[in-house]
Amino acid sequence: MIELRDVERVYRRPGGDTVRALDGVSLRIERGELLAVVGSSGSGKTTLMNVLGLLDRPDRGRYLLDGQDVAGLRVDEQARLRNARIGFVFQAFHLLPRTSALENVELPLLYSDRADTDGRGRRALEAVGLGDRVHHKPSELSGGQQQRVAIARALVNEPDLLLADEPTGNLDAGSAGEVLSLFAALNRDGRTIVIVTHDAAVAAHCRRVARLEDGRIVADEPTARGAESGR
Amino acid sequence: MTLARHLRLALRAMRRYRLRSAFVMLGTFLGVAALAVVLSVGAAAERRILETVRQIFGASSMVVYAGGGMFRGGPRGPSARLTLDDLAALAQDVPGIEAWDPMQALPSEVRHGDRTVSARVLGHSERYERVWGRAAVQGEHFDAAAVAGSARVALIGRTVARALFGQEDPLGAEVLVGPVACRVVGVLEPFGTDAHGIDRDNEVVVPISTAMRRLMNVDTIRAAKLLVAEGTRVEDAAGAATRLLRERHALGAGQPDDFTVVTAVEVRKRVDGVRRVLFVFLPLVAGITLLAGGVLAASLMLASVNERVAEIGLRGALGARPQDIRGQFLAETAVTTLAGGLGGLAAAAVISRLAAGRMGLDGGLSLTAVVLGLALAAGIGLLAGILPARRAARLPPADALR
Repeated sequence: MIELRDVERVYRRPGGDTVRALDGVSLRIERGELLAVVGSSGSGKTTLMNVLGLLDRPDRGRYLLDGQDVAGLRVDEQARLRNARIGFVFQAFHLLPRTSALENVELPLLYSDRADTDGRGRRALEAVGLGDRVHHKPSELSGGQQQRVAIARALVNEPDLLLADEPTGNLDAGSAGEVLSLFAALNRDGRTIVIVTHDAAVAAHCRRVARLEDGRIVADEPTARGAESGR
Repeated sequence: MTLARHLRLALRAMRRYRLRSAFVMLGTFLGVAALAVVLSVGAAAERRILETVRQIFGASSMVVYAGGGMFRGGPRGPSARLTLDDLAALAQDVPGIEAWDPMQALPSEVRHGDRTVSARVLGHSERYERVWGRAAVQGEHFDAAAVAGSARVALIGRTVARALFGQEDPLGAEVLVGPVACRVVGVLEPFGTDAHGIDRDNEVVVPISTAMRRLMNVDTIRAAKLLVAEGTRVEDAAGAATRLLRERHALGAGQPDDFTVVTAVEVRKRVDGVRRVLFVFLPLVAGITLLAGGVLAASLMLASVNERVAEIGLRGALGARPQDIRGQFLAETAVTTLAGGLGGLAAAAVISRLAAGRMGLDGGLSLTAVVLGLALAAGIGLLAGILPARRAARLPPADALR
């Protein structure tokens, strides 16, 4: 489904020196995978996430999405792809304040071409177990509930790829567990999920782990759980 | 994204950021209100001035005042000696004079029984009604014999009639004008307030001879109005009158006029001066308020963009294209300022009605004010929105989300 070939991303610091956030990364992700990208902070994992999510362009290398080279697409075409095919979940939730859960979830529909938008937001909230919190504002929800609203938002357009950046970073252990089992359930339904994290416990929930160090992939192997279910 | 979606988003954002929206609205609210009030009251004032000019000058006429430099400000010219003979000569020698009527005036107490009122007492000839176009609604004007004989008769205005007689019929009653007892022969047609704010119904009209001899003991008049026949240009008649009066007053080449000839043309010029204030300078001041409102709106929206960087990044990640973001902020600014403008117009409608009522004008919002106010509010909203909208659209989503 996804293939990165020799991707490089170089940032220029204000001082003039450059940082190689991604230094020749090649990665294949098959449809239906549940992949964790782990690494310490500064290893380039957020940059990788941004490149995968078409939020950032690689300086070199190719990004094939279902065989189509998408790294060089126009800004508008990338926006369309993000809207239709990619769902994002962030560490800080990024819900609009003073806005109901339902309106937050329906946000991607604003930018979508699809006609059948009625009821989608409500169904997405029900899918994450928040059918009774539709009109609550983010400030009236717990952290775990807020993250589930964000997941419902990521799902509302039924994308086939879900990208999560430290999705449990701001949650207590209980809520984190709920969110991770939600991801597992979504993955069982066939969605491709990539979770970026520095937390080994989170990575253990996934079926494959790619380890980044200084912008390079230094390890890429199935987890115990992945090996088990693969058999 | 469709316009309807943009508008819905804009309304949501206004609700979400109530205080900021209120301040963005405030600028256009004040500016549009000021502009609309100034334009509306100005239009009402202009209508009133032109109406008074029409009442005084009619189609074609001129007024000769004793004393030079009238209407020009500063001290009056050399002392006035305008006489009935001067006017008789003008009527005879200036081509195209159809009729004329002299005027003398003094303030005086007017008494009936134990009631007293301070009124303006005017002396006029029997041609008063024809030349000034003011009829008697009760009784009738005095005739030439009354003027020749300095008769003790008077016409009174509505205000005087009410003050002295209440509901009684004043006709045939006796009033004391100063020391002179006069019989009331008529009640003047109501006039209302003139452009100077003077109640023209608080007047008493007596024969010019009665005013000059019995009341004032003078042999000069204050002014006279001359009707110019059709086919004669008023400016030509005014020029001829000026030459003749200078000759009769034996004024040398270097001496200024000791009288003033005013024509409707000249008054129009003065009205144009007033117009400039009413329709250029005051609206300019209001426009500056509006501009300040626009700058305020722009800076508040810029601050809002900076404050909502995360939201902008998020929308980008969810599939908003740069033009969607641009449209969102543009619509938000425009809708907010337009709402302020509408509020301003509503406030202006109330204020201009009140203000016009106080000044004795018939007020209400003028159409120009409504159209211009809305156009400016929308225009300023769009202009103020451009910069913030462009900045928002240019934020790369990855940076904005950090």
